[in-house]
Amino acid sequence: MKKSMGRFFTQERRRILYAYAAAVLLFLGGEAVRPGFASVASIEAVLVVATFVGIVAAGQTFVILIGGIDLSVPWVLNGAAILLVTASLGQDARAPYALALTLGMGAAVGLLNGVGVALLGIPAVVMTLAMNGIMEGLTLGLSGGLTCTACASYAPPLVQAAIHGNLLGVPHALYLWLAVILLVSFVLSFTAFGRSAYAIGNNLRASYLAGVSVTATTIALYTLSGLFSALSGIMLVGFGGQASLGMGDPYLFQSIAAVVIGGVYILGGRGHYLGSVAGAISLVALVSVLLAMNMPDYGRSIIYGVIILVLLLLYGREESRY
Amino acid sequence: MPRDAARRLRRSRSSHRLGQNAGLILVCLLLAACILGYCAIFHVSQQRFPGSFELTSTVNNTMPLAMAALGQTIVVVTRGLDLSVGGIIDLTNAIAAVAMGESAASMVGWTVAVLAIGAGLGLINGLLVGVGRLQPILVTLATLSIFQGLAIWVLPQPGGAIPPAYSDVLANGDYPVSLFYVVLAALLWHAFRRSALGVAIFAIGNDEQAAAANGIRLVRTKILAYVLGGMFAAAGGLFLAATATAGDATTGNGYTLTSIVAVVLGGVSLFGGRGSATGSLLGAFVITMIVNLLFFAHIDPLYQAFYEGLFLIIAVIASTGVGSYFRRRG
Repeated sequence: MKKSMGRFFTQERRRILYAYAAAVLLFLGGEAVRPGFASVASIEAVLVVATFVGIVAAGQTFVILIGGIDLSVPWVLNGAAILLVTASLGQDARAPYALALTLGMGAAVGLLNGVGVALLGIPAVVMTLAMNGIMEGLTLGLSGGLTCTACASYAPPLVQAAIHGNLLGVPHALYLWLAVILLVSFVLSFTAFGRSAYAIGNNLRASYLAGVSVTATTIALYTLSGLFSALSGIMLVGFGGQASLGMGDPYLFQSIAAVVIGGVYILGGRGHYLGSVAGAISLVALVSVLLAMNMPDYGRSIIYGVIILVLLLLYGREESRY
Repeated sequence: MPRDAARRLRRSRSSHRLGQNAGLILVCLLLAACILGYCAIFHVSQQRFPGSFELTSTVNNTMPLAMAALGQTIVVVTRGLDLSVGGIIDLTNAIAAVAMGESAASMVGWTVAVLAIGAGLGLINGLLVGVGRLQPILVTLATLSIFQGLAIWVLPQPGGAIPPAYSDVLANGDYPVSLFYVVLAALLWHAFRRSALGVAIFAIGNDEQAAAANGIRLVRTKILAYVLGGMFAAAGGLFLAATATAGDATTGNGYTLTSIVAVVLGGVSLFGGRGSATGSLLGAFVITMIVNLLFFAHIDPLYQAFYEGLFLIIAVIASTGVGSYFRRRG
């Protein structure tokens, strides 16, 4: 019995548990700093904000599992938010078309990232960094620096309601995230596609020799990452109502932090999206605690950096080889 | 017969050299093309050829990037990547703008201090990568966030002041004095390339295991590479402050991307062990020339990041393509 317990709580599963424990501790700590922080309404608010990070982190988890990274998150997300409002002009009738266009844009950018990495052999950092620049230039240029008349449109009421509404006292956004969590976890744990992602992350050459279609899987994973960034952009603009410049900037760092906090091994092959979910929740809880303590913006960006470094030192170290 | 063999040897050696310097030759051609195109488009729109003023402003605008690219080169050659370059430039630029006084002693003292701060920031990166055995990308992404935060803490609003005398020395508006620093940097690189540390850095980038087996101290070399990278980024921050005559804690952000573009355009391999800082310096000038070209071609500056990203991808594809072509032939 004890032996099977030990086998169930592998190092990876322990890390996921630690991440959830950290989230609980942060809520308790927040309650100490500001009473009412751990109330149901406040926890719900934190979870809704964590949804945006968590959905970006789904894509980031996919690409980090194969030893890649997606640095194009900020402007794919920002571009998606602006594309949604400019394509829909705030009208429900145009919403389906705008949604399809925006998600298609995200997937297309991700596809290009994947093609660059898998077929052209460009390092993932460089490819996705360049793609971030391309999306930034296109977004700024085409919207005239967000001065275009359509840019001031609001998100269609349909999209806003889809994020803000409640069902049985729980915000819609959380159902959406739950669906993403179930879907991504299923794909990772129970499909051949998910298993080949782990295989590629563990040993690219061996998985190629074992018949895993490395190129197709890599391209598909980057495509999914672009898609999730765009989805998060749509949800964010639905939540806030209007698009703004720079709204995607925090999400690169937060998505990577969520993945690292959640115990996904940064060189690929180990970890699970359930960990990244816990990472996103504890990260947003931490930010909320810092906000409650009136910590200024720059203080938060310093603390993000320090937390990532500490966590990496705790469990992201490479083995000493020589 | 021996003569024939010798000729074959000579031919293969020259072709080998061509292969080794393909990136450098490519960036020279690219820069020449950019300059020709710039002169042509300038002549069409201004009815005269660019003169001393255009040269001076081009060199002054390039200096921060040239310095950042130099630092980036050293790190990239070890098979690392420094994403914190933008943060180091932000922070050092802010410190210089806040602290520097009018007196000569203050200017010299703070120049040294800012370079030392840059080296110290690089030391943090180096320790985390070398001793901490962490991924360079993640370390420098995290320190980028920290340095950017510190920069805004030092200088919350754009402002501060750089003494005019300091700007005259580093970024003289009347004469292309800065060309001197470019030449100096290239000469320093050639001395460095042959020094023990320079050889060690290239050895690590080529094959870490073989380098260690040959007695190269990996941790120490990596740390020093990041220290030098941080110091040159700080020099970039000083040049930026001198050109702008004031400080801004966010203008450095773009240098992370552009320094990598410059390095890749300059023919430095992102897989380590290949390339030269001379190429990166030229790559930095290519980027400035492209921005100038876009300006005269009346392309909205809002699209600048788009072109930088596009050129980065094209440059990576071209350099890997050309490199593998020459290696296959050689």
